Amino acid sequence: MAETVQIHEERRTDWLFWVGVTIVSLVTFLAAFGPSIAPYDPTLATGRVAVPPPGLSEWPGLFWASLSGQLDRPPHWFGTDATGFDIFSRVISAPRVDLTIALAANGLSLVLGVFLGLIAGYFRNIFTEGMMRVSDVLQSFPVFISAMILVALAGRSTVNIVIALALLYTPIYIRLTRSEVLSQRVRGYVEAARALGNPEIVVALRHVLPNSLAPALIQSSVTIGFAILLTAGLSFVGAGVRPPAPEWGLMISSGANQIILGEWWPSVFPGVAISLTVFGFAVLGNALERRYDG
Amino acid sequence: MLTRYVFRRVAIGLIQLFGLVIAVFFLIRLLPADPVSRFVGLNSSEEAYAQAERNLGLDRPIMTQLGHYLGVLPGEGEGLLQGSLGTSWVTGTAVSTEIAQALPVTLELLTLAFFFALVLSVPIGMLAAIRPGGAADKGVFVYSLFAGSQPEFWWGLLFVYLFFFTWGVAPAPLGILSPLTSAPPDVTGFVLIDSLLAGRPDVFLEAAHHYMLPVATMVFILSGPIIKMVRQNMVRALGSDFVLYARCAGLPKWRVALYALRAAMAPSMTLIGILYGFMLGGAVLIESVFSLGGLGQYAIRSILAFDYPAIQGVILVITAISLLVYLALDLIHAVIDPRVTF
Repeated sequence: MAETVQIHEERRTDWLFWVGVTIVSLVTFLAAFGPSIAPYDPTLATGRVAVPPPGLSEWPGLFWASLSGQLDRPPHWFGTDATGFDIFSRVISAPRVDLTIALAANGLSLVLGVFLGLIAGYFRNIFTEGMMRVSDVLQSFPVFISAMILVALAGRSTVNIVIALALLYTPIYIRLTRSEVLSQRVRGYVEAARALGNPEIVVALRHVLPNSLAPALIQSSVTIGFAILLTAGLSFVGAGVRPPAPEWGLMISSGANQIILGEWWPSVFPGVAISLTVFGFAVLGNALERRYDG
Repeated sequence: MLTRYVFRRVAIGLIQLFGLVIAVFFLIRLLPADPVSRFVGLNSSEEAYAQAERNLGLDRPIMTQLGHYLGVLPGEGEGLLQGSLGTSWVTGTAVSTEIAQALPVTLELLTLAFFFALVLSVPIGMLAAIRPGGAADKGVFVYSLFAGSQPEFWWGLLFVYLFFFTWGVAPAPLGILSPLTSAPPDVTGFVLIDSLLAGRPDVFLEAAHHYMLPVATMVFILSGPIIKMVRQNMVRALGSDFVLYARCAGLPKWRVALYALRAAMAPSMTLIGILYGFMLGGAVLIESVFSLGGLGQYAIRSILAFDYPAIQGVILVITAISLLVYLALDLIHAVIDPRVTF
């Protein structure tokens, strides 16, 4: 009985793992090349306003026609919005904004959090305990509202969004790394490294750090996903990146007023993109976590 | 024993709140925003600018401003220590009055959403826990991972498109009561309760109808983490010795399931509390999609307008409510689980 359960869980992990890998690779590819392969300039109005997307049945024909060069201009696969932007071009260009912000914020908080967590776990004294209390206070802020305050008051720039998110995510990494370090520092290899005459700082950086990284690295995938959600949410309420930057949350927000009138496409396509992207990162993070634990 | 525990928790909570207030006070003044030019305009004369700065009290040293906010300066009226949150820079109304108007909507939304999310998620989580690794468990697992990682504001809009525009079964996302409906007299501030107190079932139904979509959106988002948590705790409880004993003793299956559920719900309570506190701030986006006029929307307005007293008030109220919810749930935890003592 127990063995069957084990096998089932592994298969489930594998299938989902590849879903996550596929989505994350696609988004990463778009972040690198999206703006270059977009048929239209994502920040240039086409002059054709609120064109609905072609019906699904027309897609194969249109696709063939655009490949064989029978059209005088590329089709608007996802239609155009109220300003006249081509939605398809904007949706595939947005990862460069969204993923860059998410990766940068996650990278910054990962480095800072792991470093502080290592210090807090390895050298336990009054300073590191004080740091943990500060990190507790930071963690008790309501995340979305705090991010809004930081970005709105510091100025709506990409850099400020990155800093705000990094500040809010750092305590998570401090906590994760610290608790891993606490369990690592009493292991035999640490004692051996010390007995060989290594200075404390070398033991901490060369031996304890590499062995304490896994939880933080696994958390990264989940954090990147949530950072994309937060970035989009910030632009949705007008405290994120400025228009006309191609950004999913901004696109959803600009289509929000039309959706009551039945123009669904300006908001639906970028929403599907966020939905799948964040799901992909969550799935990948979950699969990695299972592999690490198993 | 219990009173002492509650007293200690409240005391610690007050200290935490105070620290938070001070931190927020300095934080928003450290950031390079210029609320004065927001109020007088960028091209205003120097005199007008100086006048506005004086009116807002921003020309004074920061410690004096803090003293004024806390209400420790003699002869300057009431401050935080006397229970006043100050006046909004935008409307000139007391922040506490404005928050008292906005808060009931948010609390109603959250409470309804948590109620329905639990009613739906607990049976689903239990179902998944019956056979870990089975087909039901797999499906539920993918669902909970999906629901837990979704842009709620987008789902709100999607629901509006489907249920309001396409099928016409939901009202337009424009607040809780239509402008033509006269609101029931304000007794508790909660529309659903006040309408019943005033004997106006029509108003109750209208408000409930308007709550339908925002609550559905939130239930969808919340169901992800709640199902996952119930499933995990349920699997653990079903594998424990007391369940084995109950089974061996020949108790009917539903009885065993109830025992296990009780054991599974206790640890879930803490997480639900954390989720509730998180959603107090996280409801911002859903409130904004449906123009509910709750605390989240008040926060957005205050932040975008650089209304410092209002921002401080919102953070203070959200954190205070979260701390109270944590405390309440810890107490409930002790009631459900006899092993927990204070």
